[in-house]
Amino acid sequence: MNNTVPTNIIRFLIVFLVQVWIFKHITFSFGGFVFIHFLIYPMAILLMPIKTPRSLVLGLAFVLGLMIDMSYDSVGVHTGALVFTAYIRNVIIAFLEPYEGYNIDDVPTIKNMGIGWFISYLSVGLLLHIFLYFSLEAFSFVFIFEIFLNTISSFIVTFIVILISQFIFRTKY
Amino acid sequence: MYNVIQLFAKFGTHILFVVLEVICFYLIINYNQSQKEIFINSSNIYSAKIGEQKAILSNFANLKRVNDSLMRENANLIENLILIEYASDNIPNSDSIYNPYSLIPATICNSTINLRNNHITLCKGSREGIKPDMGVISSSKGIIGIVRSSSSNFAHVMTLLHSQTKISCGIKSRKGHGSLVWKDTDPLRMTLESVPKHEIIAVGDTIITSGFSTMFPRGILVGKIENFKIMSGSNNYNITIKLFNDLTDVKYAYVVQNRYGSEQLNLEKEITK
Repeated sequence: MNNTVPTNIIRFLIVFLVQVWIFKHITFSFGGFVFIHFLIYPMAILLMPIKTPRSLVLGLAFVLGLMIDMSYDSVGVHTGALVFTAYIRNVIIAFLEPYEGYNIDDVPTIKNMGIGWFISYLSVGLLLHIFLYFSLEAFSFVFIFEIFLNTISSFIVTFIVILISQFIFRTKY
Repeated sequence: MYNVIQLFAKFGTHILFVVLEVICFYLIINYNQSQKEIFINSSNIYSAKIGEQKAILSNFANLKRVNDSLMRENANLIENLILIEYASDNIPNSDSIYNPYSLIPATICNSTINLRNNHITLCKGSREGIKPDMGVISSSKGIIGIVRSSSSNFAHVMTLLHSQTKISCGIKSRKGHGSLVWKDTDPLRMTLESVPKHEIIAVGDTIITSGFSTMFPRGILVGKIENFKIMSGSNNYNITIKLFNDLTDVKYAYVVQNRYGSEQLNLEKEITK
């Protein structure tokens, strides 16, 4: 329990820096139409301990979103999506609650919750986040086809990156 | 006051969420130009899409009219090309708009391609000035045939793919000319006969109309030489030609009207009498 707070703060900062310094500059396009973006920063919010106060998660999501937005020059877009993800996080956790409930010090990691739980939790949260991000970026459902294409392609690559990072850095908290 | 505090205690996170999202939307709309424009003109995007669809439909409905005007325009351009072909190696006429040939655009109503003698029916007839023995050329390049007979609204055309076709053709930038006939059953290949064997020709040379008949002006592209041989004992080449135009899918045609055609024919008839 003592290491939880520093671990999360360090992860928060590392995720932000990796997103801004590395993944911001990697985009792929096929035929100038479908773009692949790596959006790994929701990981910092999704991997917080399960019993973190909801308002604290929302506040941190707002701060992280603003930090990301400042480096992306798109004020509010990432923030809006990330705040929504932080809000919906508890709903997903409640849906996936195991039979015996959660412990007070549970953290949503592969080691703690098992790979099946982690994959369903991460995929739902990440998919909602990425879909909302591209919706806010387009800001009109006239572009629904582009939004879906972007969402699916970006979701696949981001999901793989986060999963690999979880296998490399096996954090306890 | 107590109620307000209780409300916050109960729904605090939801209220916080809504407040943060409202702030985000405010930021998005105020600081991002593209989203701002979309927010303001959201209805215009839909109306623009609908207008686009409507334009596509009305364009489709107008296709026939557009096509007719384009054919008229094309006819003028081909007339000019013929004029240039004559002006380039003749002494320019004092009357610079002198052009013996004019074109009548027409659509093709009916056609046969797989018989030994193939015909085409044009949707225009003598009311538009189409008379027997006029040449018919294709819109892009190549010749189609010769008008055999015409009623008031239709004209019957003997295509190149006919056993009686015999059109005088020359070889571009070389001497010598012969007559174009259809001997085999391939609708893309014809034979050029009676080119004397002392002329120098090569595979790939372009065949053009010679302009010796009154039906076609000189310089209409016909095809190119695919191969040639001299039959033993013959004095002439036997040249196989690949046609430029595919007669199996022509849809539009131009009828060549020669203003001085009948004059020339009458004179020639007098001499041979």
